[in-house]
Amino acid sequence: MKTLALVMILATLATGVAGADHSAELVVIVNPESGVVRLTREEVIDIFLGRYRKFPSGRAALPIDVESSKERTNFYQLLVKKSPAEISSYWARLVFSGQKSPPFQVADVKTAVELVQGNPNAIAYVDRASVNAHVKVVLEIQP
Amino acid sequence: MPRRRNLIARILPRSIVARTSLSILLLAVITGLLFSTMASWRARAAEHDRLITRVNELMSTVESTVSIATFLNDATLAREIANGLMKNRVVAGVRITSGPTPLYASAIDMRDPVNRKSMYVLDRTIYSPFDAASAVGAITLYVSHAELDSQASAYSLFTVWMLSLQMSIVAAAVAFLVYLLVTRPIKGISDELHRLEIRSGMHISFPSTRRKDEIGQLVLDVNSLISRLSDALETEHDLRLKQEISEKRLRLVFEKADTGMLILDKDGAVQSCNPAFVRILGPAASVPQAPLRDLLAPHGATVAKLIEASQASGEPREADLEIDLAGPRGKVWVELSVNPLGPNLLQALVNDITERKRAESAAQELATRDTLTALLNRRGFDTALAGLMANSRRDSRLALLQIDLDYFKSVNDNYGHEAGDLVLREVARIFERSVRRSDIVARVGGDEFAVLLPGIESAAKAEQIARNIISGVKVPIDIGGGRLAQVGASIGIALLGDAPESPAAFARRADLAMYAAKQAGRGCAYIAPAANDEPEATAAA
Repeated sequence: MKTLALVMILATLATGVAGADHSAELVVIVNPESGVVRLTREEVIDIFLGRYRKFPSGRAALPIDVESSKERTNFYQLLVKKSPAEISSYWARLVFSGQKSPPFQVADVKTAVELVQGNPNAIAYVDRASVNAHVKVVLEIQP
Repeated sequence: MPRRRNLIARILPRSIVARTSLSILLLAVITGLLFSTMASWRARAAEHDRLITRVNELMSTVESTVSIATFLNDATLAREIANGLMKNRVVAGVRITSGPTPLYASAIDMRDPVNRKSMYVLDRTIYSPFDAASAVGAITLYVSHAELDSQASAYSLFTVWMLSLQMSIVAAAVAFLVYLLVTRPIKGISDELHRLEIRSGMHISFPSTRRKDEIGQLVLDVNSLISRLSDALETEHDLRLKQEISEKRLRLVFEKADTGMLILDKDGAVQSCNPAFVRILGPAASVPQAPLRDLLAPHGATVAKLIEASQASGEPREADLEIDLAGPRGKVWVELSVNPLGPNLLQALVNDITERKRAESAAQELATRDTLTALLNRRGFDTALAGLMANSRRDSRLALLQIDLDYFKSVNDNYGHEAGDLVLREVARIFERSVRRSDIVARVGGDEFAVLLPGIESAAKAEQIARNIISGVKVPIDIGGGRLAQVGASIGIALLGDAPESPAAFARRADLAMYAAKQAGRGCAYIAPAANDEPEATAAA
């Protein structure tokens, strides 16, 4: 049991600190019908962290979190250098006092892709490998 | 200014205790006030800065939450933060803006100048929680002066109180100690001295605890001073008594003495005198400031010389003066003795020596007169001769007659000494009748007589006188009881010549001439030859 825990901690650290390898490179995807071509880092941050729930064009945005995934961890780490715990506490504080709500939570990347395919307002982060022809990459998250 | 100073002097109490205590307390109060003021000003400034710092720290505390609120444009969160901030008493108002939009603002109108003056405004720019370079809003805190000041003042007031209290306690302690150790003992000594009466045995007591310090020394010194003083007073008292007695004695002597005593100034005016002085010199002497030289006229010059001489030498100078007092007393002799007394004063004594002078001249007379005949005796004759010879002048001659009575011895033998005395007295009268007023007759032996003829014109005149004497003496003399005695005279005449001659030699010449007259048969006169001649005397014509 101890060994297993140790391995898991190491794995988490590795993924958290070292950054994603190329195959796990993250991209931000939207529905092709959203009309969004590109997004800047700042715009992505604004959307995912609740500042604006709109795309620059004015269309409403619906950010999607893949909960408890390494994608999530990497995404926030690379984007704003915050750990999952920090992001959680950020949203926890806002739940009580703020008017903003966290992104929509899905179980896995596949569901995130399906949501983006079906909803022109949806925006999610996935690994590059999960990108298909029905979604548009608007930002590549560089380590 | 003097009036103001007097006023201050009157306000300050006189007592040393009160004065010292008051001064110490006054000094303490002034120092206390000064230092409290400075301290409070400093404390206030420091407290003020501290409060501002605290407010800044407050802002730092909420900064991350504010950045989230501004990032999210979350007014609810902003209000929550502002409420939390305003729980702090010094925060009067909060303003949180996201971009230009105010998320929360207290109801403070910063355009109102009153508010602007009474508020501190602390601004801070808020950056995105996710991008430290990107500003997303600002937070402004309004801190009220009044609140800040009252907090600062509360603290500084505390400081002031503490300082004042300390100052008061120290001052009171110092004042008390000074009172106990210095001013009270000194006041005690001062009071005792004030009440002290200078009598022997008096002294002031030591202050409550017998002390070996300067105050104890003071008491010792004062006591020794007191005893010296009372000794001195006693001595002075004694001396004064002695002086009074002495003065009384002198006064008595002065008043009762027979000698005239007087005080003169250096100009010879009488300053004071005793009754004897007036008695001796008469009523003129009682005139105040009478000049002595007038009282003793005509001896003014002598008086002046005596005064001068005695003052110059510092010793008494005396003179016997004969003065003529108008009135019954006539001529009196006084002895004046002048004695210097001081730089401008002299003391003089005046004695009436008239009696003494009379006695002296009487004695003198006695010494030079033959008591039986009242003629000069040998001594008187020698003196007269010496005097005449000393004063002889060329143009007037001196003749000397040596007279020897003939047959006198037989008168004595036959009729007795009393008869003899009678005869002698009678012949003395005869001699005196025979000579001129200026001539001197002397009895120089038992029956020997001498006559001096000063200023005799010639030898012939001398011879004439001799012959008169001889014839006069020849007359029988009544010696009482019906008896008559007869004597004769043998005379030798000498004339003083040009050649210098001693009185003894002169007399001897006359003597030899008389002897020659005796040898020639008595009852005649022989003239002595001149001094350097040898030949014998020749008979007178």
